[in-house]
Amino acid sequence: MFYRQSGIRHTDYVSDSKLFPIPADRNLLLLILLIALAAPFILAPFYVNSYILPWLIWTAAALGLNLVIGWAGQLHLGYAALMAVGAYTSVHAARFGIPWEGALLIGGALSAVIGSLFAFAALRVKGLYLALTTLALQFVMDWVLSHSPTITGGSHASLQAPTFRLLGQAITSDAGRYYVALGWCVLVTIFLLNLRRTGLGRALVAVREKDYAAAILGVNSFLYKIIAFATSAFIAGISGGILVVCYYFLVTPEQFTVAVSIQLLAMVIVGGLASIIGTYLGVGLILLAPGVVNRLFGALAGYFDLRFSPETFAHIPNAVYGALIIVFLIIEPMGLGKIYRNIRDYLLVWPFDQLKK
Amino acid sequence: MPTDRHTASGRTLISCLTDHAAHRPTAIAMREKERGIWKEKTWKDYADEVTAFAAALDDMGIGEGQALMVLGDNRLRLYAGMLSIAMLRGYAMPTYPGATLDELRHFAGEVPIAVALAEDQEQVDKALELRAEGSKIDHIVYDDGRGLKDYAAENLHSWDSLIERGKARLAADPALGERLQRMAGPEDPAVFLHSSGTTGKPKGIVLSHRNVISAAVGSRKAGVFSDNDEILAYLPMAWVGDTAVTVAAALTFGFTVNIPEKQETVLRDMREIAPTFYLAAPRSWDNMLTTIQVGIENSTWLKKKIYHFFMDRAIEAERRRMRGKADGGLDWLGRWLGEWLVFGPIKDNFGLGRVRHAYTGGEAIGEDTFVFYRALGVKLCQLYGQTEVSGFSAAHVPDTVKLHTVGAPSPGFEVRLTDEGEILIRSDSVFSGYFANPDATAEALVDGWLRTGDAGYLEEDGQLVVLGRVSEVVYTRGGERYVPNYIENRLKFSPYIKDAAVIGAGRDTLTAMVCIDADATGHWAEVNAVPYVSYADLSQRPEVAELLAGAFKRVNEALPEPLRLHRFVSLHKEFDPDDGEITRTRKLRRKVVEERYAPVIEALYDGSKDVHVKATVTYENGETGVVERTLMIREV
Repeated sequence: MFYRQSGIRHTDYVSDSKLFPIPADRNLLLLILLIALAAPFILAPFYVNSYILPWLIWTAAALGLNLVIGWAGQLHLGYAALMAVGAYTSVHAARFGIPWEGALLIGGALSAVIGSLFAFAALRVKGLYLALTTLALQFVMDWVLSHSPTITGGSHASLQAPTFRLLGQAITSDAGRYYVALGWCVLVTIFLLNLRRTGLGRALVAVREKDYAAAILGVNSFLYKIIAFATSAFIAGISGGILVVCYYFLVTPEQFTVAVSIQLLAMVIVGGLASIIGTYLGVGLILLAPGVVNRLFGALAGYFDLRFSPETFAHIPNAVYGALIIVFLIIEPMGLGKIYRNIRDYLLVWPFDQLKK
Repeated sequence: MPTDRHTASGRTLISCLTDHAAHRPTAIAMREKERGIWKEKTWKDYADEVTAFAAALDDMGIGEGQALMVLGDNRLRLYAGMLSIAMLRGYAMPTYPGATLDELRHFAGEVPIAVALAEDQEQVDKALELRAEGSKIDHIVYDDGRGLKDYAAENLHSWDSLIERGKARLAADPALGERLQRMAGPEDPAVFLHSSGTTGKPKGIVLSHRNVISAAVGSRKAGVFSDNDEILAYLPMAWVGDTAVTVAAALTFGFTVNIPEKQETVLRDMREIAPTFYLAAPRSWDNMLTTIQVGIENSTWLKKKIYHFFMDRAIEAERRRMRGKADGGLDWLGRWLGEWLVFGPIKDNFGLGRVRHAYTGGEAIGEDTFVFYRALGVKLCQLYGQTEVSGFSAAHVPDTVKLHTVGAPSPGFEVRLTDEGEILIRSDSVFSGYFANPDATAEALVDGWLRTGDAGYLEEDGQLVVLGRVSEVVYTRGGERYVPNYIENRLKFSPYIKDAAVIGAGRDTLTAMVCIDADATGHWAEVNAVPYVSYADLSQRPEVAELLAGAFKRVNEALPEPLRLHRFVSLHKEFDPDDGEITRTRKLRRKVVEERYAPVIEALYDGSKDVHVKATVTYENGETGVVERTLMIREV
């Protein structure tokens, strides 16, 4: 009904490999982009600052994690640690006097270096062993942070991020920070959208499906795994830096604990492996659902004049949120991205039921 | 100044081509799909290619009085080759890709074949075989060279090598191109077609440039085409419909011609192109309707409900409109919402989204099919034409469509009726006579009027009604006059009947032999849990017989008492052009059928309950086999 496909023809192979050949997809994307650009002006600052802004930054980070898990098929439980590396490095660099553009890049680069160094060791094993090894990265990093006052300024201290400036322009307004987050998220999205059309993307997928089959085809699977780890660590580092400078304003070790790693993993899995739209939806659910459910529950309790003990009141939204994740995964084990695809397919073949007759 | 596109005077297909090349050189003339990509050719490139090939042919000493035989499915280079030989005042002779050697031998006997332009290895083999059997084929040129590397046949050239040769000549002699382009005049042959050969051997029909262009201009004035239409070239090149649309009209008005990758991909390619002009046989429209209905039946509950809600109302409204009643108050709302929810997506699915001119022709179309498409928003119209008038002589106008007519004669066509009810046509586009066949010509052309051989009459509003072939009008023993084809077509409106032969000339009652439609009946059998192992088995199932009897009863209701069908038999095989039972355009060869099935026909009249048949079947590799079957005879 929305998806009209007649008249879509390709006169060369470049046009044949377009990202969005169907006009309805392009229009939808354009609409969302326009809304995103206009958000600071049409939404209350509260929603922009405490919902959409963190959503965008965490999405960028989760997309990086999805690159390793979804595209390259390697489990990664230490992702938050790499974000911490990026966050601390860029804050220190900025305090040292390096402009923020450089500081963020240095953060990303160091993150990539540590991430790939670790991957060299970790990738000697596979599957659950790899997962456990990456968990070690998380604990090592936690230990380093809490035991090196030169980095963190002491075990319970926090480190203030210097004033954020990009291209000589101080970014102090809500809108400014929002656009930086949006820009970064869009950049990562464009990278991942195009990944599947590149040799790198196809090599990663080959490695994911069966690494020694890929090796037989001439794909150096170890090298590509390292590339995947390094790239995703780079995205993690910069996302960590941006998270601090745009959202937290100061950095502490508690922001990047193992719980955060698990949460990121949940975002990717609930969203759907190797699904970009799914990652957006997954982050939205994991990040925003608790708050939304909480408010909804509070409003319902107020409306029906229900009285709970404060403990129950704190736990019920959590239970609902947990149930929500389970329900979505039961409906579609491939994640929210797959649910979106199912709906799209349903409309794509409307009013028929199959793709090809 | 470009020549006025809407007049025929003084123009040739070649002058049309060079005109477009000069005035809109970068507009797309042809689009040909190759490995999923539509390769585009501008008018300038197309004209250059045609001229280069003509230069090469000229170099080989080919020209006036010689023919280029086209073997294969629609391909850009085959169309270009036809124009090249027309440029040299020779005969461009397209043939059906499935034509048998006998047919081709007959064509080759009419006129010296200087070049056989073959699509691929399969067609080259055919040409070589013809040559081995003694037919004169000087040169063989192929388009697709796959599998031809090691062929050592004499005078076998690739298209590319000849283009190189032509280009080299044109480079050496800059004036040559223009000289070649100016060679042909309006009275020179544009194309050499054949009558379908329903009765006897196909007769050669040479159409001049003036013929085909004035036919196109007439059709344009009748609203069949607009300027700059997008068309899909998928009809057999040897059929006059393809000549009229893809060659004549496309060149005259500058259409973009889109050539599908293969016959099998036509449906998909149609969607990618979404043509603005679409001509298809009633059978194709029926098939598409069946596909839509089967697709909806297999769809989900909600989609089915929504489809039926809007479609049933739209069909209802369309029927009211055809009876001349005004629209109901809420019809516009249903059409508007339905267009968005149901009709638009369906049209989009089948590439009908942009169709401005949707036509059917060749035979009568069933009312259900006709009304369905009009309800869908495709303004389906009927055309009437014949090879002898270079295309279409009458066409519906979308707003005054009447199902039983074929529309009013197009501007430039005069229609008259003889006392016997035969339709006579006079026009600039009427051919000048059958090729080297003065007897047949004298029979067909009387004082400049073409005897179409069709029986019909003109309605008060000037619309033409075609009943059938004059030669097919037959009488029962009781003296009742009827056209078997007319009844057969009505039988074929049932989706389960693919072909039918009505018998009854000189007999007391009418009976029929039918061939079931394998797909539709097979699907029906699956849905209704009727087991079967083969076409022959399915055709004799009692459940299928009942299904067919239902179709017969419906047809009988519309027939006068003496012409009702009493008994029928469902045949164990489909009529096949390879067996000579129908022509390549699927018209019944009555004599062959009546001869071959004589025992069955006897059984239809002697009251027996079944009949044992032995049939010879010709397989695709040329071998023959014998099939034995007992056919049940049913009463209606």
